[in-house]
Amino acid sequence: MNQGIVRRIIDEVSQAWTVAVKDMRVYYLKPGMIMFGLMMPFFMFFSFSVRREMAAAQGVARLLALTTFFTAASTGPFVIPLERRLGTYDRLLAAPMSLFSLLLGKIAVGAFFAIAVSVVALVVGVTVFGATVSSPGFLMAGVIIGSFSFSTLGLIFGSIPTRNPGDVQMPSTLLRWGLLFISGVFVPLTEMGGVARALAYVSPLTYAQDLMNYAVLDAGLLNPWLDVIVLLVGCAVFLVPSLLMHRRSRQLGY
Amino acid sequence: MTDAIAVHDLTKYYADLLAVDHIDFQVEQGEVFGFLGPNGAGKTTTQRMLTTLLEPTEGRIVIDGRDMAEDPVPIKRRMGLVPEESNVYTELTAWENLMFTARLYLVAPSERGVRARDLLERFGLWEKRDVKVEGFSKGMRRRLSIAMAIIHHPALLFLDEPTPGLDAQSTRTIRDLIRELNARGTTIFLTTHQIEEANQLCDRVAIINHGKIAAIDTPEQLKAAFRRVQSVEVALEPDGQAHGEALRALTGVTHSVKMGDKWRLYTERPSGLLPEIVDYARARDLEVVSLNTLGPSLEDVFLEITGQEIGAVRHEAGESTGSGRGPRGKKGGRR
Repeated sequence: MNQGIVRRIIDEVSQAWTVAVKDMRVYYLKPGMIMFGLMMPFFMFFSFSVRREMAAAQGVARLLALTTFFTAASTGPFVIPLERRLGTYDRLLAAPMSLFSLLLGKIAVGAFFAIAVSVVALVVGVTVFGATVSSPGFLMAGVIIGSFSFSTLGLIFGSIPTRNPGDVQMPSTLLRWGLLFISGVFVPLTEMGGVARALAYVSPLTYAQDLMNYAVLDAGLLNPWLDVIVLLVGCAVFLVPSLLMHRRSRQLGY
Repeated sequence: MTDAIAVHDLTKYYADLLAVDHIDFQVEQGEVFGFLGPNGAGKTTTQRMLTTLLEPTEGRIVIDGRDMAEDPVPIKRRMGLVPEESNVYTELTAWENLMFTARLYLVAPSERGVRARDLLERFGLWEKRDVKVEGFSKGMRRRLSIAMAIIHHPALLFLDEPTPGLDAQSTRTIRDLIRELNARGTTIFLTTHQIEEANQLCDRVAIINHGKIAAIDTPEQLKAAFRRVQSVEVALEPDGQAHGEALRALTGVTHSVKMGDKWRLYTERPSGLLPEIVDYARARDLEVVSLNTLGPSLEDVFLEITGQEIGAVRHEAGESTGSGRGPRGKKGGRR
């Protein structure tokens, strides 16, 4: 490969990492991140799990799907509009890096946050509630790939041309809640009717939940490799609207 | 030598609103180029297009011979940008802000600390290097924002309204820095509505109005082109403030503006007006405390070109009105 291209790729990855590290330092302790990224998945979990008979492992599988999904998808809609409002996003857009690398850095922030929260949830599940993990490899793949996929999904909302995080929170929350109820998190796929199940297969969360079920409970409905592939494809597919909306933002002046 | 910036037929529409209207201009390497205009004239829109933050509707931007539409990344590496709002990260310290920018602009690891220290010392922020920026004053944030824009030694620096609202010391520090950077070869693109700042700093200025370039030239050439905006400034005692209407009625005075304890009388023939003022004072037993003839200032030129009344910006309260003037001026040509 051309040496110049290799150098450019190394530079861009380094810049994406720089953006991610900066965001982690600046935004992880912001109230919006704590509320939507940290507390919300646990609230959701306890709201729908208390008073229901459930094995510890079943709870851990559900909680991991919730943390990867909610935590990862909450970062983009919070951070980017806030940065636009503060004017700091211009600093990033004016920096000598491609838009792809900038977005990669933003995706990494949500993904790392979700991975960290999921690891804590897993450790508590295993050590306190005695849950066991059936397939650690698929569990790791599910948490990591799921986190990146959902962070990319959240980035779509962060890319909406606006400087007001409030404009973005409403549609992104609606989508997240909607997906939650059609993705086999609270109602297993096997108990869903035909239409509901067809809808479930459209949701990326279905594949994350199924992968967690397989990895923790050894009870996945789909082939775990199919789950992995769908989540990987999701990373690429969800990035497209973000790139297009950033281009639109550049035309509109956001 | 290749122009630092060459803009061809640059146009920007926001929906149906034409913000920048097919403008052309060039900025030479090593030049301090002022971009002046009233609010809403298209200054910031133009600057945002030049710095890749906004996509032009039409036209070409060529920086250092490279077309911006092709691959902007190598171009951006040579640019620094100081936006109107100091967009620093308030949750980070001054040092962390500089380190972040240095990494983002791929400054060599061995250089980052040295440059950050130099800049913090230069801007009087070294003692505050480990303090979170949320505790900084507006002037300190501004200085830090400029330091962040130049840590990678850009060949082309864009400054958008760098000094408004700052104390005298910060303003002076920033203006000195602009001169110093320019002396070292940095091309400066200065967007401002502070006319005197442009007069002091710029090799050439462009005046944009209603999205079009109304004039481009050196400050002195622009002033020379507007000789009709000459004036006589007079201070009379006692009770010099009371004579505005009478002074305006003197032959050849187009209008008058109260300037503190003085009156500025605009005329195309200052030499003819001087004896009339002296006669006026003598007839009323007034002392002429001071009497000066003035050529047009860059501000006068700016106000003429943009169609605003002279004195409307500075002395609304005390002005004795003149007639409104329509936009005038020469169409911008190169250099």
